Amino acid sequence: MEPLLKVQGLSVNFSGLKALSDVTFDSFAGEVRAVIGPNGAGKTTLFNAISGYVPSTAGQIFFKGEPLHGLAPHDISVKGVRRTFQTGGLFPEMSALENVLAGLHVQIESGFFGIVLGLAEAREAEREGILRAKRLLDLMDLGAAAEQPVKDLSGGQQRMVEIVRTLATEPPLLLLDEPVVGLSPPMRDRMMDIIRRLAGEEGIGIMLIEHVIDLVMSGSDTIVVLSSGELIAEGTPEEVRQNREVLEAYLGHA
Amino acid sequence: MEKKNGNTSLITSNQLRWFYYLVPVAALIIPFVANEYLLWIVNAILVYTLVTVGFNIIIGNLGQLAFANTAFFGIGAYTSAILMVYGGVPYTLSILMSAIVGGLAGFLASVTALRGIRLYYLAIITLAFGELMRWVYLHGDDVTKGSDGLRIPDDIFFLGIPLDSEVPKFFVFLLLAVLLVKATSNLMRSRIGRAIVAIRENEATTASLGIHTARYIVLAFVWSGSVVGVAGAMFAVLTERVLPEAFGLTEVIIHFGMVLVGGTGSIVGSVIGAITLTTLPEYFRQFPGMDELFFGIIIVLVLLFLPKGIVSLLWRISPAFKERYYRD
Amino acid sequence: MDIFLQLTLSGLSQGAIFALIALSLTVVYRATTIVNFGHGDFVMAGAFFVYVLVIYVELPYVFAAISAVLIMLGMGLGVSRGFIDPIKAGPHIGFAMMSISLGYVLRGGARFLWGREVFPMPRVFDIEPFFIGNLVVTGDVLFISAIVAVFLLIFFFIFYRTTTGVIIQAVYQSERGATLIGVNVRAFHQSMWGVGLAMGALAGILIAPISLLHPDLGATFLIRGFAAMTLGGFGSLGGAVVGGLLLGVAEQLFGFYINSSLQDITAYLIIVAVLVIRPAGLFGRTVTVRV
Repeated sequence: MEPLLKVQGLSVNFSGLKALSDVTFDSFAGEVRAVIGPNGAGKTTLFNAISGYVPSTAGQIFFKGEPLHGLAPHDISVKGVRRTFQTGGLFPEMSALENVLAGLHVQIESGFFGIVLGLAEAREAEREGILRAKRLLDLMDLGAAAEQPVKDLSGGQQRMVEIVRTLATEPPLLLLDEPVVGLSPPMRDRMMDIIRRLAGEEGIGIMLIEHVIDLVMSGSDTIVVLSSGELIAEGTPEEVRQNREVLEAYLGHA
Repeated sequence: MEKKNGNTSLITSNQLRWFYYLVPVAALIIPFVANEYLLWIVNAILVYTLVTVGFNIIIGNLGQLAFANTAFFGIGAYTSAILMVYGGVPYTLSILMSAIVGGLAGFLASVTALRGIRLYYLAIITLAFGELMRWVYLHGDDVTKGSDGLRIPDDIFFLGIPLDSEVPKFFVFLLLAVLLVKATSNLMRSRIGRAIVAIRENEATTASLGIHTARYIVLAFVWSGSVVGVAGAMFAVLTERVLPEAFGLTEVIIHFGMVLVGGTGSIVGSVIGAITLTTLPEYFRQFPGMDELFFGIIIVLVLLFLPKGIVSLLWRISPAFKERYYRD
Repeated sequence: MDIFLQLTLSGLSQGAIFALIALSLTVVYRATTIVNFGHGDFVMAGAFFVYVLVIYVELPYVFAAISAVLIMLGMGLGVSRGFIDPIKAGPHIGFAMMSISLGYVLRGGARFLWGREVFPMPRVFDIEPFFIGNLVVTGDVLFISAIVAVFLLIFFFIFYRTTTGVIIQAVYQSERGATLIGVNVRAFHQSMWGVGLAMGALAGILIAPISLLHPDLGATFLIRGFAAMTLGGFGSLGGAVVGGLLLGVAEQLFGFYINSSLQDITAYLIIVAVLVIRPAGLFGRTVTVRV
């Protein structure tokens, strides 16, 4: 199968410090791929590099065969690689609906003059966007919260809104930075369920950063292990569990 | 739309829409009941409504501390006046030129913001820009007539209507104000307006949604500059003489105050701010210093007790008055 | 050459006042990350208090000056406690508007009480000008330079050589850390507002005898304070002083050698040029605003 995302020899330096060095792996459609590793291993840096938030020092990133390295975050997003943030990704003063609508930005095809003049075409495009956003929120049981500023929602609801916002354009590849952190155990299971369904039924490629090892072992198809910026293991949960280096990396830092 | 969570609301957003359309229609009776002086104040309110709506896009929606709008205002006024005085350009066309030149000034301001000059740096550089423009007006004697100000011609027409008294000015200003406020409202309640507010809320994550943030920062500044530029062209006709003092630091404070007193990021708030801070200080103008004292105290009180502006009082009547960034 | 030196000298004494204003803005900014956009009016208020105390209460200048500084110190504490603390949770736009409005109230109050006139103040530093070589040194220049120099020595001594100074620097570095070692951050902010306004008042006191007083005095000094801060490096204490002195000299030189009307806008040109070419100024750390 042709990989969705190819990361080849990716290195990122921060003023001389190696945050990532020579990381290589492929990611596939319909696969849940967890990225784990001790604190400071370079997990978020990896996401930042793929999504264009930090420049890579060396190496290449291909999405569906097209190079991503060197592109700006918004261009990468338009190509179909979308991400969430560990914290503070939402627009707190905007309502849940407006957040999701912002997520649909590139799919609402209304032009500047159509909008300013209030032309029927532009209004129709906006209306379709609103309907779609509301449907998505309803699907995640967020319909009742749609009108509220997201800063007033619970932590779990906020996570959901961010995922809905990111998913709204049906991106082929989704990068989720700690999607279940701060959630109650039942909410966590629900979120993992949704993530598995998105991969299994919609065929979306999902990469996620997660600390809770149980969730990673039960919820992912493949695991990538980073330590001090290097990829030290890659494989099924079973393979990774038995990997010596992984154990050492974790115990060494524990 | 139906209100969830059992929000008590006296006015639904549908009724409110009618209310918004009724306001300008009701305003049409003003020339028949007001004298020239009162009408002059009403006309000033219409001008400041556009100043505030334009400024609010930068301060409230985009959330940037840029004070260049008073400069846009002056640039609009001088553009119109110079074109009419030296070029014999019809007023209607000069308004359009003021919008274009104001937009260009907005573009210039956006470039500094895009270069990473933000927050206080942006505030200070835009203040300096405004003062430099004022210096140009003061010392460009040959064209701007320095501190005497540039008198605009007596025979000004808008699409054939002679603007020789406050009444025709009122109708023209009302038309321009309604058109531009409506257009701005359309813009802010679309994907463009949402992108602008998203940048205020979190610029970094906005880009992750495929939104080209730089493009919308430029757009916000240019639109703001154009709207305020038109206000400047109106101001030139309102005061009949364009003076450098009309665009100084004190005016920056007044315009900024209008935005905050009305409510940041709210178009209704902008209108409220323009009305409040045009009429009240006018009343106190007879006592030296009282207008400033009063103005300052109002703003301090609003900041302390109504941090979201006077418009937040309306939210108690109906949540439909809250600014939304989409339209059902 | 004589003219050049003469201009430099009067530029330095002007610049000493700008330096004082820039430094007082910086003290508040470093402590609270708030830029006091109404500072010009507080400076004006300081000058007015001196005027009132000298003319109406007939206090000797020195006592009037000390009283004015104390009044502004108290005003600083009050502003911080009564007007800044309550809006702490809000955005920076609110701080900017609050400081502007308070300044506006002061300006309106001054105009209300004194009408629209300008006031000459009796000359205080009235000694015979004397010569150093071909250089004329007037009493104004001498006194202003001397007072500012002495004040700066005391200020930087306190800041870098005493325990109080070390604590202040520590809080500048990390408020959370300061809380851990038992510093009351709220009280710290208040006192820095007090110190900032008192220093502004000192500038006003020096301005009062050498220029005409009017309620709109503040705006020009505010912009010059900003220009000095920007030139020296926003947030740098030493930079504020150097920036102020350079600005004073630059104004004199630009005004004389290029065009007298340029003197008024030297400050604005410096702000625009510095922010476009090197936003960090001369001594500031590189500013990286995350975009």
